[in-house]
Amino acid sequence: MFDLFREISQTIQNNRLRTFLTGIAVAWGIFMLIVLLGMARGVVNSFESGSWAKTSNRINIYQGTTSKAYKGYKEGRQIKPELEDMDLLKEKNPDHVSDITSNIYMGNIVFSTSKDYVSKSPQGVYPYAQQTDNVNLIAGRFINDADLRYKRKSVVMEEKNAKALFGDAKSAVGKYINGLDLSWQVVGVYSHDWRDNVYIPFTTAKALTGNDKYVSNLQVEIKNVSTIEDGENAEQQLRNNLSRKHNFAPEDQSGLYFSNQFTNYLKNKTAFDILSMSVWIIGLFTLLSGIIGVSNIMFVSVRERTHEIGIRRAIGAKPGNILLQIITESIAITTLFGYIGVVLGMVVTQIIAALSEGSDFLSNPTVSLQIALEVTLVLIIAGALAGLFPALKATKVKPVEALRDE
Amino acid sequence: MIIDLKDVNKTYPGAVPLHVLKGINLGIEQGELVSIMGASGSGKSTLLNILGILDNYDTGEYRLDNVLIKDLSENHAAELRNKMIGFVFQSFNLISYKNALENVALPLFYQGVSRKKRNQMAMEQLERMGLADRSHHLPGELSGGQKQRVAIARALITNPKLILADEPTGALDSKTSKEVMQVFRDLNKEGMTIVIVTHDPEVAKATDRMIKIEDGLIVPEKTKIITSFDNKNV
Repeated sequence: MFDLFREISQTIQNNRLRTFLTGIAVAWGIFMLIVLLGMARGVVNSFESGSWAKTSNRINIYQGTTSKAYKGYKEGRQIKPELEDMDLLKEKNPDHVSDITSNIYMGNIVFSTSKDYVSKSPQGVYPYAQQTDNVNLIAGRFINDADLRYKRKSVVMEEKNAKALFGDAKSAVGKYINGLDLSWQVVGVYSHDWRDNVYIPFTTAKALTGNDKYVSNLQVEIKNVSTIEDGENAEQQLRNNLSRKHNFAPEDQSGLYFSNQFTNYLKNKTAFDILSMSVWIIGLFTLLSGIIGVSNIMFVSVRERTHEIGIRRAIGAKPGNILLQIITESIAITTLFGYIGVVLGMVVTQIIAALSEGSDFLSNPTVSLQIALEVTLVLIIAGALAGLFPALKATKVKPVEALRDE
Repeated sequence: MIIDLKDVNKTYPGAVPLHVLKGINLGIEQGELVSIMGASGSGKSTLLNILGILDNYDTGEYRLDNVLIKDLSENHAAELRNKMIGFVFQSFNLISYKNALENVALPLFYQGVSRKKRNQMAMEQLERMGLADRSHHLPGELSGGQKQRVAIARALITNPKLILADEPTGALDSKTSKEVMQVFRDLNKEGMTIVIVTHDPEVAKATDRMIKIEDGLIVPEKTKIITSFDNKNV
């Protein structure tokens, strides 16, 4: 085997320029494949690690306007989700509902310390809001179940507001601020590019807003669903129950507005699977042009070396020896330059990864070891295919060729 | 008999089939130094191809060292060529990007001999040809006579039954030709059977026996006395 590689390295060195030019085509094909795969990987990573994926088991319900007359009510009636609906759905749909959370948006409140003040509209939330809003804590904790149970006056705020109020974001945790003539404790500080909501416990907000029976939305956590169909059935069950309570037609899609994160996620996932597949197809076809180049050059090489092959045959090379030599040569060229492409592709994806750090659309756009192995396999197969036909042609060379004058 | 041909016929098919060998009968004994002479178109090259197992024939029998050579598979033919025949060509047929040592060792590569062993054996053959100091030169860096001696070393390395030389002096000047012929004569003295195909009467004279081929047939041999008489003048 080692001898065979020595033979190949000799013939490659003998045709350096030609081999190099052909190799570039292969390197380019693999480079494109790696970069495309890396980018696609980045988009998929960001999709899977983003709030979409984390909240994929939810159906969110918002206020809507009926589009059909029902039970004597005219169409065009506005319907809002209510606090009672949370218990209703839990009770009526135990198969599919595992939890329900909600939000309350409050009016402007001035929060102040001895140092400064900020004017914010706090949001009454469940712990789950940390995932929907992608809250990235830099100190302390988020609103928790105990906060809800005891209607604590806990506050989670954004870094910039914490700085304004306390001068330093991290030391704000555990300190108190004033708002609505009450004393609130800062329990967590988060960092975000543009969002600067103030979060307080849902129950606290409810207590402060008094007799208002409405909530801004219902975030229903669903279970026992695996297909798009399951997701749609679960949605319809929820709609049926709410339609009875709020008196709108069960088939009325706009009585309450349902945002089915689960089916959306599955649909998007399908789209991303198609994206990944397209990238492979584009990459492989780019590589194909490189492979055809290698095949072409091997044909030229076999033609040029007809006399040499004849000599080898005359002194005892079997057709199989010649076949193996040409195919191995082709694999060697493809793999060698392929790896140059892989390395360059890796470098470029790393650069893109560094540049896109923190982007919402690309997350770690690099290829994994598994993809590198897959690409290696692709290269070897491609090289063998590229060499196959020229090699078969080479085996047709008769040893009599050795006797012809060059 | 090392070479034994009985009524060998060969026709090249085509629009007008060409009957090149019309019943060749030929016997060559172990240890002979023989030349086959003929004009171009006489069938000399075809005969050489058949003797060298490079080509098939249609009817008749060819035995090489008592092995019937007929309708062999490509692989079997390659094996027999490798083990039984050493080729020496007019244009040397050395591989240009391999040095003298690698060229000489190449037949052993196809026998699967280890690199170390075959380089050692190749070196011995080069020493025998007086080219030990040229072992790492590429063919392009060698003179015509040196190239042909490298080719002879390559032919000898598998210790074949027979050396088959096709116009071995065709590309050499007269002085080098004589040197190369002397190499053949020396090898023959050591017992090697050598068949030289040529159209050069001078070369033919330097052999012990001259076989003439004309129009696809062997011309009946004349007395041996004349050739051996001529040999003394070489």
